[in-house]
Amino acid sequence: MKRWGLTLGSFICCGLVAVGMLLQLTVGPVRWDAMAWPANIIVLAVLLLGITSMHLLRKKVRLFRWMATLQAGIPAMVACAMLTVLMGVTRQIPSGHQPMEPIGITSMLTFWPFVLSYTWLVVLVGMVCMTRLVQPSLQSIPFLLNHLGLFIALVAGTLGAADMQDLRMVVQEGKTEWRAVDAQHRVHQLPIAIELHDFSMELHESSLAPKSYSSAVTVYTKRGSSVNDTIRVNKPLAVHGWKIYQYSYDEARGQESDISVFELVRDPWLPYVYIGIFMMLAGALSIFIGKKW
Amino acid sequence: MVTWNTLWLFALLAWICWTVAAVLSLRGKRQKAVYLLTICGLLIFGSYIAMMWISLGHPPMRTMGETRLWYSLFLPLVGLITYSRWHYRWILSFSTLLSTVFICINILKPEIHSKELMPALQSPWFAPHVIIYMFAYATTGVATLMALWQLCRKQDQLAAIDNLTRVGLSFLTIGMLFGALWAKEAWGTYWSWDPKETWAAATWMCYLIYVHLRKSRPDAVTPALLWQVICFMCLQMCWWGINYLPSAQGTSVHTYGG
Repeated sequence: MKRWGLTLGSFICCGLVAVGMLLQLTVGPVRWDAMAWPANIIVLAVLLLGITSMHLLRKKVRLFRWMATLQAGIPAMVACAMLTVLMGVTRQIPSGHQPMEPIGITSMLTFWPFVLSYTWLVVLVGMVCMTRLVQPSLQSIPFLLNHLGLFIALVAGTLGAADMQDLRMVVQEGKTEWRAVDAQHRVHQLPIAIELHDFSMELHESSLAPKSYSSAVTVYTKRGSSVNDTIRVNKPLAVHGWKIYQYSYDEARGQESDISVFELVRDPWLPYVYIGIFMMLAGALSIFIGKKW
Repeated sequence: MVTWNTLWLFALLAWICWTVAAVLSLRGKRQKAVYLLTICGLLIFGSYIAMMWISLGHPPMRTMGETRLWYSLFLPLVGLITYSRWHYRWILSFSTLLSTVFICINILKPEIHSKELMPALQSPWFAPHVIIYMFAYATTGVATLMALWQLCRKQDQLAAIDNLTRVGLSFLTIGMLFGALWAKEAWGTYWSWDPKETWAAATWMCYLIYVHLRKSRPDAVTPALLWQVICFMCLQMCWWGINYLPSAQGTSVHTYGG
């Protein structure tokens, strides 16, 4: 039974990689931007419904029963680890660009075999969480923190990625700016505007390298409210669902820079990713509690 | 003013303590002295790191040499914890030997770098992120040594290897997730698949496979031991190997000593 299970798992992973290669050659790399709202919530509903119905049918279908076992999980983990190592040894091109070679491994995140393998792993993790969730017990808590936490973090992080806006805004001292550009250099008009009062920089005494830099700003929202604050590295400002990070400045002029570059991030799925991350943190700590470690 | 030049003095004193403790534990004598001497060595070496910290003005973690300091400290600590729990007589010799190697590298090839931190590293997340990772590296390092020992000598230590791996994996998880939370705070994305992060994910998954493999096939001892060694090779790639990897050049925010 065990050997049969591992063999089946390996076959399915090889099959997924083969199907992924076919998809890669026919339809091209995975288009994550198509996953933007509301596509991602539909995919999430299908995923959860699929996992639930496979779980309900587990007594009738041997395959579904097997999906919640280690014999299914280990080959999936091996496949994901191998593709991740492959990603680690190949130079990756920045997101939003076409892969450099015909296969597509230089853009691993849009490489179908990679995406399918991880999806399969997530489905299996979801299946094994279901078996524990329907029979709640105290002993299952560390297990669920680890597994369900990973499931939530991966699913929310991946599905939410297309809804995330990550923009750069350049503001001149004394000016107010509401337009920002994305990684593809498209201009977006934002519901918030930043007025830069002063950009300032502290230098290390010995080498004159930047020690810290910050921007005194007023942020206006469309509803008419405004916030005065100083934004510095590691100290972002949160306004109206946006987080504003100190990103850069006019590097040619250094301390004399009269512009400040901000990174503006909106990530509506972030709270769910954080729930997953904190569950995993609790799960990691839970192995130190109790005698069996 | 504590600098790299005074490392040899502290290292020598700590090394004497650890070596005497290792010899005593190997002979199975004087339990109290074993603990006292090891702790004494840890305090001496730890005080060196603390003084480095004060004189640098930031935790000594930015350069390869500085992370090796923590590794040299944590190895005897993990050794002592393992010893107190499972009483392997040889474990302190192992951890001392490995720690000595890293101390020698640091004395013979001290990588002295500027004492300044780039602004993104001036974060309260920085210290826990690196310290937890170094502790995980030390724990899995001991687990790997035990696996190699068992592969050569056929002494059964699998229970201890499993426990060390679980502790190491849990620290890897915490270090990785702290890194994600910090990256979100500093750069706006919690995971950007830069080469270090990619290798951290691969390493983490390798150790996950080990833990699940042990559960699934408890009788498959040799494959598990070999897999433990592969995990550690992956971890070395993540720690310093990527500095030499052509695909990772110039693209990682994690490059040491820049």
